[in-house]
Amino acid sequence: MEIHVDKDACVGCGLCVKDCPMHVYELQDNVSVAVRPNNCMGCLSCHEICPAQALEHRGIYAARRHYIDIKVCEMLRKVV
Amino acid sequence: MSAGYIDEMHEAFHSDLVYRSEDIPLECSPKPRDMEHTLHGVMKLNGLVIRSLEEIAGRGANAVTYRAGKKFGHEVAKYFQKREDVEGALHELSDLLRGQYSFEVWKPEDKETFIIEENGETFIYLVFHDCIVRQTLRRNGLDQGGPLCQTLFGYVVGAIEEITGRKAKLEIVHTGPNACLKKLVLK
Ligand code: SF4
Ligand code: SF4
Repeated sequence: MEIHVDKDACVGCGLCVKDCPMHVYELQDNVSVAVRPNNCMGCLSCHEICPAQALEHRGIYAARRHYIDIKVCEMLRKVV
Repeated sequence: MSAGYIDEMHEAFHSDLVYRSEDIPLECSPKPRDMEHTLHGVMKLNGLVIRSLEEIAGRGANAVTYRAGKKFGHEVAKYFQKREDVEGALHELSDLLRGQYSFEVWKPEDKETFIIEENGETFIYLVFHDCIVRQTLRRNGLDQGGPLCQTLFGYVVGAIEEITGRKAKLEIVHTGPNACLKKLVLK
């Protein structure tokens, strides 16, 4: 697992540090650093909690999504 | 647990996918026609939840849903091969859950083995990747870890008990939008 923190985007709030049950992140000079990437089990709760959307995971298994509203997606496709 | 089994599991849950916070999923995966098994599972599960609600109404939502899940687990696992070893039981369980849930045996870096002994407890960490309960909760804007998750807890415990003939317990360690970490305590 590779975890990338966008240093320019990170605001150093430390929410990812507190949230991750596997202690993957540490704050260093007010920026989050993924110090234990191999401990990551891919839950992505850190993505959900990060206010700066500064995180990127590589090599993750994306769980099947059954709840996507097809009509909403069609609308989104037109604008995204 | 054999290295081959663990490698096979890890292979299945590894990809070269890059996932960014801002990614918006634009379609269901897999295609609806590939979801027949999942839908059947949901229908069966709902039927059992209702039946169990009638049986033990008033005992609290968690007790009801846990019991429904456990019944389902016992019922389905009845037809599977009985196994005493944990690896075999997990193999059977993953066949049983296919289409509705998928899981991987997992350990933190500092642990030597997948079967962990800590504070007088023997347990295995399971990372649940695909999960119809999580999908249902997120579709409805509900928190994870509540009564609906108890159905899965019951289901896994029921199935493990049926396959191994031993008592088991499942604890939630962490929930996320993409996976959840659970602890299977062996008794
Ligand atoms: S995905 Fe989960 S386990 Fe991995 S770093 Fe984020 S919070 Fe921690
Ligand atoms: S939650 Fe996001 S912004 Fe906050 S410290 Fe972590 S990476 Fe930085």
